[in-house]
Amino acid sequence: MSIIEIENLTKAYRVYRKKEGLAASVRGLFRRNYHDVMAVQGIDLNVEQGEFVAFLGPNGAGKTTTLKLLSGVINPTAGTARVMGHVPWKRENAYRRRFALVMGQKNQLWWDLPALESFRLHEQIYRIPPDQFRKGLDELVDLLELDGLLEQPVRELSLGERMKMELTAALLHSPEVLFLDEPTIGLDVIAQHNIQQFLKFYQEQRKITILLTSHYMKDVAALCRRLVIIAHGKIMYDGSLAGIIDRFSGHKVVTLQFAEDRMPDNLDTYGTVLETVAPKAQLRIPRNVVAQQLATMLAKYPVEDVSVEDPPLEEVIAEVFSQANRAAGAEMAEGPSCTTAS
Amino acid sequence: MYDRVVSNWTIFRIALEERLVYRADFAMGTLMRFLPIITQIFLWQAIFLSQARDQLAGYRYKDFVAYYLLTMIARAFSSMPGLASGIVEQVRNGEIKKFLIQPIDLLSFLLLGRIAHKCTYYAIAILPFGLVFFLCRDYFMDGFPDGLTFCAFLCSLIMGFMIGFFLEAAIGMIGFWLLEVSSLLFIYMLFNFFLSGHMFPLDMLKDVQLWGDWSCFDLVKLLPLQYLAYFPAAVFLKKVEGLELITGLCIEAGWLVFFIIFARCTFRMGVRRYSGFGG
Amino acid sequence: MQHPSYWNVLLTFMRNSLIRDMTFRSNFLILCVSSMSWTVMNFGFYLLIFQFTAKIAPNPAWGSWGKYEFFVFLSTTWFINSLVQAFFMPNCQEFSELIRTGNLDFALLKPIDTQFLISLQKVEWSALTNFFLGFGLLAFSLWKMTYRVENPLQWQPIAVVLYPLFVVCGVGILYSLMISLAATSIWFGRNQSLYNFWFYITNFSRYPMEIYDVGWGIALRKLFTFIIPVLVVVNVPARLLAAPLQPRANWEWAYIGFTLLATIACLWVSRWIFTHSLLRYRSASS
Repeated sequence: MSIIEIENLTKAYRVYRKKEGLAASVRGLFRRNYHDVMAVQGIDLNVEQGEFVAFLGPNGAGKTTTLKLLSGVINPTAGTARVMGHVPWKRENAYRRRFALVMGQKNQLWWDLPALESFRLHEQIYRIPPDQFRKGLDELVDLLELDGLLEQPVRELSLGERMKMELTAALLHSPEVLFLDEPTIGLDVIAQHNIQQFLKFYQEQRKITILLTSHYMKDVAALCRRLVIIAHGKIMYDGSLAGIIDRFSGHKVVTLQFAEDRMPDNLDTYGTVLETVAPKAQLRIPRNVVAQQLATMLAKYPVEDVSVEDPPLEEVIAEVFSQANRAAGAEMAEGPSCTTAS
Repeated sequence: MYDRVVSNWTIFRIALEERLVYRADFAMGTLMRFLPIITQIFLWQAIFLSQARDQLAGYRYKDFVAYYLLTMIARAFSSMPGLASGIVEQVRNGEIKKFLIQPIDLLSFLLLGRIAHKCTYYAIAILPFGLVFFLCRDYFMDGFPDGLTFCAFLCSLIMGFMIGFFLEAAIGMIGFWLLEVSSLLFIYMLFNFFLSGHMFPLDMLKDVQLWGDWSCFDLVKLLPLQYLAYFPAAVFLKKVEGLELITGLCIEAGWLVFFIIFARCTFRMGVRRYSGFGG
Repeated sequence: MQHPSYWNVLLTFMRNSLIRDMTFRSNFLILCVSSMSWTVMNFGFYLLIFQFTAKIAPNPAWGSWGKYEFFVFLSTTWFINSLVQAFFMPNCQEFSELIRTGNLDFALLKPIDTQFLISLQKVEWSALTNFFLGFGLLAFSLWKMTYRVENPLQWQPIAVVLYPLFVVCGVGILYSLMISLAATSIWFGRNQSLYNFWFYITNFSRYPMEIYDVGWGIALRKLFTFIIPVLVVVNVPARLLAAPLQPRANWEWAYIGFTLLATIACLWVSRWIFTHSLLRYRSASS
């Protein structure tokens, strides 16, 4: 049995639409226009114990909503989910002791107090035995290099340090499942790297299950083998990193370096010319004809160097997102679900 | 000139729209303001029932109720919720720079905003107010006052509005010198509540000796706070008449001019100090 | 299943709040002074009233509130309000903020009863200044009442024992009202006027209930005794101790019994409202 089982999970929000102008404001006292936003539309997902899964998607895709549903913070409109056998939105204490959620840029520690006091509160709330608490805290402080920062009020810490404190707080009670919502957002490169290294080490050592949402490819590439792409509340792809390129990218990028100064003019017959800086030319050629075109070009022209590469991952994923946008746009044009209510 | 009119109208309109957004809030708030009077009515009734006399400090029982209702109107004109704290907040988070750079005068901007706020409030409040006053017309034993008194009443209300505005704006200017003013504001609110006559008719202090021939009432009369609630009510109820009335109105006008000047000066001094810090 | 030790968690809340208050010492002192000023001025108003009248007794069948009896009433008001303001008011206000900003999420993640966490996490220690003022006034008034020449106070031990219990009941009823109102901000969004509503309603509780027993006030008294029982909050403990009616009537004991029931009912209803409002929680977008 998978540790996380999600079936047809759906969440719709009712949003009040306000029109501009004085007359509309007065009318707003009596009548209101609502429409439903489908934040998550029928998600199916299974995650095994010990997996490190990344959720990738543009803003508003439904990544955070999915994590909130799995944490029990909000109730779904339809569908089911089970995490470690529990239904999250029942908010059983037995479930809440076993997982943790960390949200980037959102702080749960007491602002004016040293982080240590907030940790002590955690110790009481999660009923962590004192020696386990001490040991766990020392270990995390060591791994995250937080020495000497525990006694400082949280408001005096930098963004990176605060994020590390949040992670510490989340891991004190040794959760079996960890949900991370954009943990490295807004952090500088070094802080991002530190947190990535920490997560990698921690997950390998303890074999916990982690669900991570992010915008940053670096997070994803460094940590996860399994990638789930969400856009407009639907899963567009679920599989390995390498698989994405195979599935979504129809092209390869071919870079040719020509001998002497003899760059041909008709390169556009072989594919889309991306860039020409003599003596190099970069072309985008559909996969199925790469070998054929390359053979032709190599035969015809004096080529000194060739490289055939996959397009950058960001590009592929951006293409996936825009595909999703177009599909969603078409759906909207058919008629949104719009209701008027007073 | 035309531009000024257009921009003033826009400011006014936007303030109105802002008020209408939180509709549930707005409707509730207007109704709620009448609740404290109910307890006061019962309290005074109980006090009068407990003793033989039918007059207390020159007020009959029904006069007390009439007085409270009138102070409600006066407060509707003179209370400026969030004005001082708003200014302090704007200084604290730097929003005030907008007024130093753009050709808008802070005090006029705020005044227009308040007028807009009050207009919306009156427009919607006229119904509940009208209803309450109609239901309570028996409490006004002397009936509606004559034209002259009524004019004086309106005068005192409008001046009360202006004094309330410039007084609180001046207090808000403290934000240029101190960071944490919420407690000072609270203490001002407290004094305001007691010494403006909102809680009880200030005439009651006539019987409380201060020192020598002076009663507490004489002291409180020297303060401008009475114009925020007590004075208009006293005018309407004919507690202040004839020469006393005219002098009262003149002194009120005097206080008004004083506060306009005071607010402007503190603003100018505050701005100079603020710019002195650079950045 | 292991549940947290609620007592230890409460102690940690109190400790953390105290540490935080002491970090901003001058602010703390100012807050103490502000609460005291309000109380002192209010006291001044009643002193003024008693200059004009010897008692508040609209209906002799209910007893008579002389100056010192009324001061006992007043100090009871201070006890109850200071406890509510110290332990519950900052939390209920914060609750509306948590709902608005979406930070309520964090509370929902913790393996502890959410209502407990939300209602007690912050303690406003400066609000307890009025508690101590209440003590002083109570002691002074009781002393005066015991040793005056006419109609001295007849002490009943049971009254002294029940008094603290009913102060706590009063706090319970006010808390229920407050948390129910705060929970409705999940439906109504920003609800500044709901807090004004709170003050206006509890305003009724600050006076002896017999003042309402005239004309249409009778309906009001019944409303605020049986539907939204704010009138029993201060009246019951104050009547117990100050005994405006000597000797006690039977209906007074009935009221006392009713108050216990009302407290339990209010707490139960507010719990129901709270748990149901959480079901509608929408969180906030990031």
